[in-house]
Parts: sequence; structure tokens; C-alpha cells
Amino acid sequence: MWLPLIGLLLGILIGLLSPVEIPLGYVKYTAIAILAAIDTILGGVRAQLEARFDLTIFLSGFIINAGFAALLAGLGDLLGLDLYLGAVIAFSIRILDNVGFIRRDLLDVYFRRVKRARDVTG
Amino acid sequence: MTVARPVVRPRLPWWQVGLTVVLAVGGYFAATQIRNELEIREHLRIPSTRLNELAIRLQKQERRRASLEAAVGELRHQVAVLEREAAERQSGVARMNREVSELRALAGFIPLEGSGVVVEMRDSPRPIEPGDDPNKTILHYTDIHAVINDLWAAGAEAIAINGERIITRTGLTCVGTTILCNTKRIAPPYAIVAIGAPARLLAHLQRPAGPAEILRAFGFPLRLQGLERVTVPAYRGTTQFTIVRPAGEGP
Repeated sequence: MWLPLIGLLLGILIGLLSPVEIPLGYVKYTAIAILAAIDTILGGVRAQLEARFDLTIFLSGFIINAGFAALLAGLGDLLGLDLYLGAVIAFSIRILDNVGFIRRDLLDVYFRRVKRARDVTG
Repeated sequence: MTVARPVVRPRLPWWQVGLTVVLAVGGYFAATQIRNELEIREHLRIPSTRLNELAIRLQKQERRRASLEAAVGELRHQVAVLEREAAERQSGVARMNREVSELRALAGFIPLEGSGVVVEMRDSPRPIEPGDDPNKTILHYTDIHAVINDLWAAGAEAIAINGERIITRTGLTCVGTTILCNTKRIAPPYAIVAIGAPARLLAHLQRPAGPAEILRAFGFPLRLQGLERVTVPAYRGTTQFTIVRPAGEGP
């Protein structure tokens, strides 16, 4: 359970310490990367709760989703349209969906536990 | 794949490894972004979301500046052109002033001086005897005109008679016993002042059968003087043209 936390801290540390400047035009790609990461994490948590986690799907989903969103943003740059907003919205919706599913899964787990406890005591 | 694995294996590594990677990447980007954003706010004191607006404003100002610079260049060019024109005009004015003063000298509008001669002519002092024609004892305008004409012919550059400048429009005529020059009455003795080479003028006047010889032959006292410095006054008469205009101009 410590490993993901260490990874998060490591990433934050590198990000804070590395002198990488993101040019203003690439801020949208960063936004997509962050959203893809959040979406993937939440999707992974949900899959874990539903006991159908798959590392391949997990990582490939992260990479492919982020890559396509980046392509979309690049295309938007070429066309002069804010197409990356579409990716941002899609990711946001997925994130909120996942949050919703996670909430339900957690509630399910909780109620099952309560019921089981009741069964045991009762 | 993980789902298919036996339950005895702890499922910890796989999803935790994936989560770690994704968290590391996400954390990295988020941290970098936050750091950048903080730097932007610290330096510019505005959130980066306003940067687009500022960029557009900057572009507008730069376009404006470019057009103003172009205008400055154009105006500087105009100034240079105008300065050159002004300089040309000034030198033109100076040239025209010189020309005007030369023309004024030529036209007789300014007093002139130089070496020359003075010719003094008087009516004949011989008393008129009965039967004599009085016309033969007084100077006629033709006599004066003959002298003036010979002076011009000898290369005189300016001539005045009794203070009346001879100009291109000067007419000599006589009314009764008086002579009119520039429509002003002149009376004997007649002093004709001419600027020119004295020796040449005198020689021409005194040539055989020249005016001096003829006048002396008819008994008119004549005095010829070559002088180092004589002055000729300016023309004082009318300068108005009423009929002439430069040819080829106007209707």
C-alpha cells in the first residue's frame, strides 16, 4: 500500500525540483496528462473494488487515452480550435462517473460488511 | 491476467505498481504545472489564464507600434524631403535675389558707380545776328541723342543726363526750347555721365566726324572728362507696364 504513495511523492518531488518550464502553449497537454492520470487512477480503484483490475488495461488505458487526447489537442492547435477542451470534458465526465461508481462500490462494501456483522451478531 | 492468477498470490504488486507509475506521472505533471503557475503568478502577478488575453493585447500593441513606426518613418521621410525642398528653395531664392539685383542694375533701378566720362554740352554762346537761325545756336535733343548713342556704341554700361538715368524706355524729345528726358524737363548745360572704359568712350566720341567734332564745328562748347569714379543715379520715373505682358503666357 505504500508503493503508490511513494510513487506519488516521487513524482511530485521530481516535478517540484526539476527545472522544467512548460511553455504556455503546452499547458493544455499538461492538463490532459493530469486529467488522464486522475481518470486512470480512479478507473483502477474502481476496477480494484469490482475485482476486475488488469494492469495491461490499466496502463494501456492511461497511455492510449492520454496520447489520443494529446493528438486531439495537437489537431486543435493545427486547426485553431480548442479541441483539447473535448478531451478535458470527456476526462472530467469519466472522472465523475468513476467517482460515482467508486462511491457505490464503497457503499456496497460497507453495507455488506454491516449486514455481515449484523448476521454474525444476530 | 491478474484476475486469472491464483488467489494465493498476493495481488498487491500489480495494481500497486501500475498505480505507482500513474501516480508518479500524474504527480510529476501536476507538480510541474503548479510550480510553473506559481512562478508565473509570482513574476507577472496575474494568473496564467489571463496570459492569452495579455498576449492578444501585446500583439495588438505590437501591431499598433509597428504601424506607428511605419508612420514615423514616413513622416521622417517627408521631413527630409521638405527640408531638402526648403534648402533648394532658399538657394533658389538667393540665386533669384542675385538675378534680381543684376536685373535691377540692368534696368536702371539702382544707382551705379564706376570709371567713366562726363560730357558737358552747352548752347552756343555766339550772339544771334540778324538773319541767323536761332536753332543753330541751341542744342537739340538730337545732338544729345547722338552723344548718348555714341556712348552706348562705345560700350558704356550706364548713362544719365542731368541726373536722369537713361533706361530702355527713355525717350528724348523737345518741347519748344526745352528738352524732355524720361518726361522730365532738362535744361542746359547738359552733363552726360557715362560709366564705361573712359579711354574708349572718349576716343569714340572724338573720332573724326564724330559727335564731338561736329558739335565743336558748329560752335557748341563741349567739355569731355575721363574720370576714375563717376556715379549714375537710379531711374526715378514710372515702372508701370499697361499693355505689355511676357509673350506666351496668359490668355
